[in-house]
Amino acid sequence: MNAAATCLVRLLRRPCLCALLLACCTPLMAQQRDAAEVVIGSKNFTESVILGEIGAGLAREAGVPARHRRQLGGTRILWRALAEGQVDAYPEYTGTLALELLAMPDADHAALRAALAERGLAMTAPLGFNNTYALGMRSDRARALRIGSIGDLRAHPRLRLGFSNEFMQRADGWPGLRAAYGLPQRANGLDHDLAYRGLASGALDVTDLYRTDAEIPYYELAVLEDERGFFPAYDAVYLYRADLRERASRWVEALEGLAGRIDADAMQRLNARVKLQGEAEAAVAADWLGVAATEPQGRATRIWRRTLEHLALVGVSLGLALLVALPLGVLAARRPRLGQVVLTLSGLLQTLPSLAVFVFMIPLLGIGAKPAIAALFLYSLLPIVRNTHAGITGIPRELRETASALGLPPRTRLWRIELPLALRTILAGIKTAAVINVGTATLGALIGAGGYGQPILAGIRLDDIALILEGAVPAAALALGVQGLFELVERLLTPRGLRLAARH
Amino acid sequence: MFELHHVHKRYGRTVALDGVDLCITSGGTTALIGPSGAGKSTLLRMLIGLEWPDAGEVRFGGEPLRRERLLEQRRRIGYVIQEGGLFPHLTARQNVGLVARTLGWTAARIAQRSDELAGLCQLPDGALRRYPAELSGGQRQRVGLIRALMLDPEVLLLDEPLGALDPIIRHELQAQMRELFARLRKTVVLVTHDVAEAAYLADTLVLLRDGRIVQQGAPRELRDTPVGPFVHEFLFAQRSLGDLP
Repeated sequence: MNAAATCLVRLLRRPCLCALLLACCTPLMAQQRDAAEVVIGSKNFTESVILGEIGAGLAREAGVPARHRRQLGGTRILWRALAEGQVDAYPEYTGTLALELLAMPDADHAALRAALAERGLAMTAPLGFNNTYALGMRSDRARALRIGSIGDLRAHPRLRLGFSNEFMQRADGWPGLRAAYGLPQRANGLDHDLAYRGLASGALDVTDLYRTDAEIPYYELAVLEDERGFFPAYDAVYLYRADLRERASRWVEALEGLAGRIDADAMQRLNARVKLQGEAEAAVAADWLGVAATEPQGRATRIWRRTLEHLALVGVSLGLALLVALPLGVLAARRPRLGQVVLTLSGLLQTLPSLAVFVFMIPLLGIGAKPAIAALFLYSLLPIVRNTHAGITGIPRELRETASALGLPPRTRLWRIELPLALRTILAGIKTAAVINVGTATLGALIGAGGYGQPILAGIRLDDIALILEGAVPAAALALGVQGLFELVERLLTPRGLRLAARH
Repeated sequence: MFELHHVHKRYGRTVALDGVDLCITSGGTTALIGPSGAGKSTLLRMLIGLEWPDAGEVRFGGEPLRRERLLEQRRRIGYVIQEGGLFPHLTARQNVGLVARTLGWTAARIAQRSDELAGLCQLPDGALRRYPAELSGGQRQRVGLIRALMLDPEVLLLDEPLGALDPIIRHELQAQMRELFARLRKTVVLVTHDVAEAAYLADTLVLLRDGRIVQQGAPRELRDTPVGPFVHEFLFAQRSLGDLP
């Protein structure tokens, strides 16, 4: 065996080295929270991020140190994070709360508050806008046809209606609306963004929209009045943990103080500044609050920070996976029956959807880097376990028998014979795990783990290709780099005797 | 040195050894011969605990072979297979010193012993520094032999040791091995399918067929007083140039 391989094998035998590896991982894992600091979360769409920034700004004004965990993966993740105390508050809509989260479709605000209180949660007074579904059409056309409300559509059966696919399907979407108002038209399903262009070009007369969509003023659309109150109310509120009243009472007062201060048009304008004019959410929020915006980071600094976060996610999860998967692979090779169980289980882990794993992890590990690392760790197990197993069981029988017939103790057999002979296959497994890991780690942004997924998510949300590339290009480069690095390591570690043998 | 009592072994429905009783005395060279599938390799592998009898007992040096004592017992036995069974990722020298190193021998002692054995086995200078892939078949076989002799074991077990060599090298190595065995006075058990090689190297032949011992004794005894037609047939089944018309 050549010097480098011997050295590596020796190093790995030292328990203290493993301890050191773990010690390096711990600060990354922990990300300790300042006891006084409060955390506000936001969902993965612009309006939520702006409201998150406003909430965080209010906390700072009230003298409470605050952190904003922006654009987390979705309603479920935030709801669980709030329940587990990983975030202290986040913006939500009463409709979502009643229909999705609490499953109390007909509840009024008092009932919702009571249900939240049972869970140790609370909600602020409505902020002043109702971001429900609405129907919209070009205002010039609406004026010409004298249409001001949904009921007015009945008189114009020849109007062309196009709705987003979700709206076409939902019972509280088009089917219900049509029945409630007795509308005579037929509607087509299409992509939401295409609908705006269809309206602008005149190919379409009416579409569904959200009340605070930034595009409403941009395309000069009129929102038709829902005079029968068909659409449920989606009043914007902040949900927060009840214990916040003791921990940060001034912040709660400030959040409650927003009651009625943001109407639909105001929210629409804020959305438009971010989505259409490309301003940063933090700047828009600071401007609305009348405070100075924090200086946004330059692109290079931003990418550097994302790179460090991404490397930490990949490095820690892969390091931990190595510590677990290598011994498991060896065990699987030594004990065939147990090996089948180990291989099946690690194969099973691979089939779990990553978002589901993230959600499972929140009660255990909260949000941020830890659950992402745990998920990446689980996904890294299979390639390493499988290749370690395959590498060891693939050693020719006569060599394994000779090793034992010589009277080598099992430990020596493992370290001096089996692992070096299986090294190539094992390294190939680690390489596979690392490359997959770099890609999967971008999903970590859904639970606030940072990394290259952060600009990708923001880019998708803002329809900003440059921002998407800011995450996607370094991620691809990192994957290639990791691949190259492992090929180099493989070349350095493969003993000369094996390279010679391979040529024969 | 080895005693086998009523040893049975089967693989699925195939019977490999069917009640073998055998006593291998110290100091002699014994060759196990017989047609393919007769059980000669199984028997040899049983002597070093690579196979275990389904019934019966294998004794080594007066005590039964036991899994818990195997490590120590194996170090008293040298084992060589076809092509030497060298580890491709280690140099010849590392292959040879592997066990001695785990036993805590000093590097100097290992080097001295391997050089001494290299001389004895007529391995050319510098060959110990090379990797198995850089050695010829005959050299690999010699390195395998040196590795087996490293701890100066009481017994040498050889499984088809010369099977993969071309005839000239094989002939040369047969002569050297006979000389070596005579010099070292070790108990040697070897398996070969070549009757002439067995008769040349061994003082006792054990002829097996279908997992049973048909006859054992000195080569001359088997030739002159075969216990049945099969023994005669087997001993003279190989062609030589003398058969030319």
